[in-house]
Amino acid sequence: MSHLGERVSALVDGELNHHERDRALSHLAFCASCRAEVEAMRALKSRLRSLDGPAMPADLTMSLLRMADPGDPLPPRERPFPSGSRTFGGAPIPGMHSVAPPDNRPRGRAATTRRSRRVGYVAVGVASAAVAIGTLFVVGGPDPGPRVPPVDMFANQHRNTVPYGGTATPTFSPTP
Amino acid sequence: MIRLPAFLAVVIAMVLGLVAGSPARAVQQGVQQGEQDNEDTGLRLLREAAAAARGRGYAGTQYVTTWGRSGSFSSVVEVHNVPGRGLSVRSRPSGTAGWVDPGAPAGSMTAPSETMLEVLARNYRVVEAGRTSTGGRAARLVNVLRADGTLAARYWLDEAGGLALRRELFDGHGRTVHVGGFLDLTLDPARGGAVAVPTPGGVDLGEVPALMDLGWRFPTELPGRLELFAAHTEPAGYLYLGYSDGLSVVSVFVDSGVLDGEKLRGWHAQRRDGHTIWMRNSAEQGTIWASGDHVYTVFADAPADTVDAAVAALPHEPAPNLWNRLGRGAHRLLSWVNPFG
Repeated sequence: MSHLGERVSALVDGELNHHERDRALSHLAFCASCRAEVEAMRALKSRLRSLDGPAMPADLTMSLLRMADPGDPLPPRERPFPSGSRTFGGAPIPGMHSVAPPDNRPRGRAATTRRSRRVGYVAVGVASAAVAIGTLFVVGGPDPGPRVPPVDMFANQHRNTVPYGGTATPTFSPTP
Repeated sequence: MIRLPAFLAVVIAMVLGLVAGSPARAVQQGVQQGEQDNEDTGLRLLREAAAAARGRGYAGTQYVTTWGRSGSFSSVVEVHNVPGRGLSVRSRPSGTAGWVDPGAPAGSMTAPSETMLEVLARNYRVVEAGRTSTGGRAARLVNVLRADGTLAARYWLDEAGGLALRRELFDGHGRTVHVGGFLDLTLDPARGGAVAVPTPGGVDLGEVPALMDLGWRFPTELPGRLELFAAHTEPAGYLYLGYSDGLSVVSVFVDSGVLDGEKLRGWHAQRRDGHTIWMRNSAEQGTIWASGDHVYTVFADAPADTVDAAVAALPHEPAPNLWNRLGRGAHRLLSWVNPFG
């Protein structure tokens, strides 16, 4: 059997199947160089596992925390070639750089979001109230116009009313 | 010297005899007699008079005088009652005529229904007050007394035919506010034996629940013991309310709209308790005022103080504004979505 070669690492990591592992261990019984290489590999990996993880730089941590804090709105993005510099018939022609890419930069917008949401609620409420009042106003109809009651008809009905005469409506029938 | 005292004695005796035999003296005696009688002793006589006014044929001339807020109004009418058809009334000298119900103000309310007599007896004491005469006919007196004992009305009922020959109304101060009576009367002998039965009558309040659902609000009683006996909408769109105490009648007409006082001809404005009221000098004591988006019109055959108290008790709301319109819209919306409406 040839030397283990690249199978040393697999043997140390326990990645060989049962048959390959038996053959590799049989070889190690007769090959001192492979046995030494396996031992060296095993010692190296054990050493690597015992090492601590890399420390987080303090400035990087602070930078990440600042990204989450509220802050002033970012200044408007300056475009290298302002739109409207070229026109055709009075209408601006969009240039190659006039359409800015999406601004994905983080900004302090938490308070702005809450404020705008509150304004939105107020606007919706005002609009709803206006619609309700307008509906009542329209349904209520116009105020009745000025008028003079038909007093002669009323007086005639009064003169011909029979108090406690029942449900019959009194009538006045002139003689021929 | 001896004859003078004798002459004076004769004159005094004649004066005393005239006073004792005068109708006023008889009325005074009748009041005292009626007050001694049991209550409502005159109700039977009024019931007979009401039946006779409908079932007895007669013809005659009547005069009617009413004292309103600003004076008196008199008229003379020729009446001819035809049982089963009604009372023909022809005014003089204009000559306008028409058939009226003898239980209506146009018929001098000489034939009240049984229900109205019950209301009269509930609000007043109706007592027989003796015998007298009027217009050359023997009559029986019936006094209608208030709870405090003051005279509210007096009837002269014909001994022969039972008809009301004369009717007087008095206000709370004892002043005469209405007088109506026959100057001459001829009973129809052909129908003299007819048995007349007073009409039962009743109230006209069947529409009240529906009117309430429509938003109408009106009192069921007014000052002066006036009770609601009729409430209904007319085809012209206005609301009619009738009030009576069994003796008088007050008609209230409620119409939608805002009153245009500038176009009221023959009416004069008057301020009362911060409100403007238009009045007309007439026997019916017409009164008009605006309340909210409605116009109230009142006509009455009742004492002026009773009419004024009734007018004051009816609504006097300010002119409509935006809130009234919004409230009207809300009410309409609710009525549309109300499944039980």
